This record gives sequence, C-alpha cells and structure tokens, in this order.
Amino acid sequence: MAMIVSACGKKEDNNASNASGGEDKVYRFATDAQYPPMESMDKDKIVGFDVDFLDAVMQEAGLKYELKNVAWEALLTSVQQGTEFDGGISAMSITDERKETYDFSPAYFESTNMILIKEGSTIANALDLKDKKVAVQIGTTADTLMSDIMGKGSKDLKRFESNTLAIMELDNNGVDAVVADIAVVQEYLRNNPNAKVKGILDRDNFESEYYGIAFPKGSELRAKLEPAVKKVLESDKYKEIYAKWIGGEPDLTGVLNQK
Amino acid sequence: MCLVSDFNFHIIEDYFSLFMEGTILTIELSIAGIILGSLLGLAIAFGNMSRRWYLHLPTQGYIHLFRGTPLLLQILIVHFGLVAQVLGRTDAIVAAIVALALNSAAYTAEIFRAGIQSIDKGQTEAALSLGMTRGQAMRHIVLPQAIKRMIPAFGNEFIVLIKDSSLVAIITAPELMYWTRSAAAQYSKVWEPYLFAALVYLVLTYSMSKLLKFVERKM
Repeated sequence: MAMIVSACGKKEDNNASNASGGEDKVYRFATDAQYPPMESMDKDKIVGFDVDFLDAVMQEAGLKYELKNVAWEALLTSVQQGTEFDGGISAMSITDERKETYDFSPAYFESTNMILIKEGSTIANALDLKDKKVAVQIGTTADTLMSDIMGKGSKDLKRFESNTLAIMELDNNGVDAVVADIAVVQEYLRNNPNAKVKGILDRDNFESEYYGIAFPKGSELRAKLEPAVKKVLESDKYKEIYAKWIGGEPDLTGVLNQK
Repeated sequence: MCLVSDFNFHIIEDYFSLFMEGTILTIELSIAGIILGSLLGLAIAFGNMSRRWYLHLPTQGYIHLFRGTPLLLQILIVHFGLVAQVLGRTDAIVAAIVALALNSAAYTAEIFRAGIQSIDKGQTEAALSLGMTRGQAMRHIVLPQAIKRMIPAFGNEFIVLIKDSSLVAIITAPELMYWTRSAAAQYSKVWEPYLFAALVYLVLTYSMSKLLKFVERKM
C-alpha cells in the first residue's frame, strides 16, 4: 500500500487562529436529515428534535453555528476526521465502540430499538428474529445488535442506507421485520395509520440507549458545550422541544444518570 | 489521520471471506448484465434502425429512457417497483441483474448501431446481389465485420458495468461494495475496506480489458 498518500496527522487547527476572536467562529455541525422526528428535511430546511436541541445548546453557550445535511455513512467519517465538521448531532447512541472513535457530549435523549413488523406476524421479541429476514439502517445500533444476534455475515440481515429503504423492504415483503430507533418507528406508525404494521419493544434484548452529540477525538468544542447541554436538559426549553417533536413529558432520570 | 502507519489489515482479514463472496457475486452480476444486456441491446439496435415506426419509436424511447436516467434510480425502481410487484416480494439479485441488463442494453444498442452502420453499404449490396436475404447478409457479412470494430466500445461498456454493479449495494445485494460498506460501518474505518475494494475492482476491470484486447486480436 505504498501508493497511499494521505493527510497524515495534520488536523485543521481552528482554535489557534481564534484565540482572540472566539465569538466569531461559526461551528459546523452535520446531521443525516433522514430521521424524523429527530431530523428530517422540510423542503430545504432541516427540522427536528436534534435541530431545536442543538439550537438551544448553542444559544446557551453563546456560539454561532451552522448545520448541514450529510448522508449517514459520510457523516460518521467526516465527524471522526474533524476537518469538515466540528461535531455531529444525528440521534447517535453513545456506545463503548463509538467512544473509541468520538468524544461525546453528555447524554441528552433516551432511546431504545424497536421492532417493526407486519400486523399478522408472530414475532414477539428480538430472539424470534434469529431465523427471519431483518432490515436495518447500516451503522446504527440496530445494525450492531442484529449483527450480534444473527451473525454479521448473515444474508438475511439487510443493511440499508436509510430506514426509509429498510421500511420499504418490509412493505414489499423482502424482510419480516425492521429494527430501528423507537422514535423513528413511532413516527412512521404515526404517519402511516393505514400501514398494517405494528411496533414491539424488547426491553430484555434491546437496552436503553442514550443519544449524544459526537465530536472528533480531542475536541475542545465538547468541553465548551458540556455545561450548556446540562443547562438545557434541566430547562423548560427541553420539555418544550420534547413535547413538540416526541409528544408528552420527557423522563430524564435515565439521561441524567449517565456519566 | 496518518494512513500508512495506521492501516489496519485486521479489518480486511476479518471480512476477507465475505469480500471474496461479494467479489464472486460482483463477477456473476456483471457477466449476467453483460450477456443479457448485449442480447437485448442487439434486438433494440435492430428495432431502432428499422424504418417501421412501431419498431423505431419504442426502441428510440427505450434508449433515451435508460441512458437518460441515473442507474441508481433505475436500480431502486426495478427493485421496489418492478420485481417486488411481479414476484410479490423483493429479490435483490434478480433486481440487480434486470436493472444492469436494462441499462446496459441501451448503451450496447447504440454500440451495435454504430458498428453496423459503419460497414460500407457496398457489403450489403454485394451480398444481396449474390442472392442472400437481408437477414443472411446481416448475419454472415455485416455483423462479423462490425463486431471487430465494436470491441473497444464494448470494452468501455463492460468495464463501466463492472463498476456500476457496485450500486446494487443500495438494495442490499451482497456483492463486494455491500460488504465493503458493512466493514466500514462495523469498524468506523473507511480507508481499509474502501481501498481494498478499489484494488479488487481494478483487478476485475483490468482483466476485462486484457480479455477484450485478446479477443480483438483474434478477430
């Protein structure tokens, strides 16, 4: 592989040039806006829980920012590299594996994976899926969980680019179930009351997951935003945002207990 | 991210058998796409060259449609809109072959037409004057001469098709690109699997061009 020439070691050093003019720096965030209600496109605007939450956090921290729509797999890579973006907010569950690649903000949302199946299905929990066909979005915790249960080389585990395509596959009888974030599944059920599908939880096999804002390793922005995130979590603004996008009252006991 | 020292061969080791399975499927899909696409393309070329409007117009339309829309969209439409409706369920491999063949046919149709029309009319006239029918003239005189001229263009199309087959990862056909993305997602590392995949595609396309050079010399 001697032909590989790449950016060895040099990361763009934004902080040095902004030592004095810190307030003018516009921080760049990425999100994969194909994930309602957390983030999605409304014509040419990105909207969603994460959008409003990030706005609240950046306002609290008094920092300028911009948010771009980036495809999921590209987002994972570019946030890791840290040259194009300073952070990523995209319903990203904090996992030990991911902590090796990213620094995370404090947890800001509790989630779990849910199984979406057709109405007549006999599937009752995640283990029932072992010999079935399942669709997930590639690179999500659903992907990791199902790869563990079904084996990562399983031809019956179909990794799609987005949950939209995964759900279409279920629609067209290509798989028996889709495993995805509860927020995504519930949003789909809400928007498709005639779809003849149902969602089931499996608290035994799918543990609670907590979303965090992802930063490249060694990020200074992460430290800057930590107090802001904590402040917003305890504020009424959070309840407002939650009620608007998810509905009802948030239960933050799990979230606040995360280290 | 210092690439050379950090290159994690472990990822490639871990996924190697899946990459090889995927490569085999890539080769199979490409061969199927090439053969079916060429056969269909030949038929469409004749339809396009015909003066009968009911042959000419639909085939012209076909060529415009399949050359004029992105293959990615064609794959999605064939997978969800065509195969799933016909079979009652999805089948990624069938959809992949159908999409690649339909797309390739539009391009090969034009390659055939260019090759056939480049043969001097005198050849056909001579054949007819010897008592051959138009069909015999085409089969025994024109096509054999034309094919030799078409080989470089076919080479282009076949090589493009091998690379285009990587798009079917989006409907989760388990070819090379699909496993490449799975490896990248599992390990959160893109360079190792992507560069390895690039190397494999290079080997495949290089072999294809070598094969076609050999065929061209033999004609």
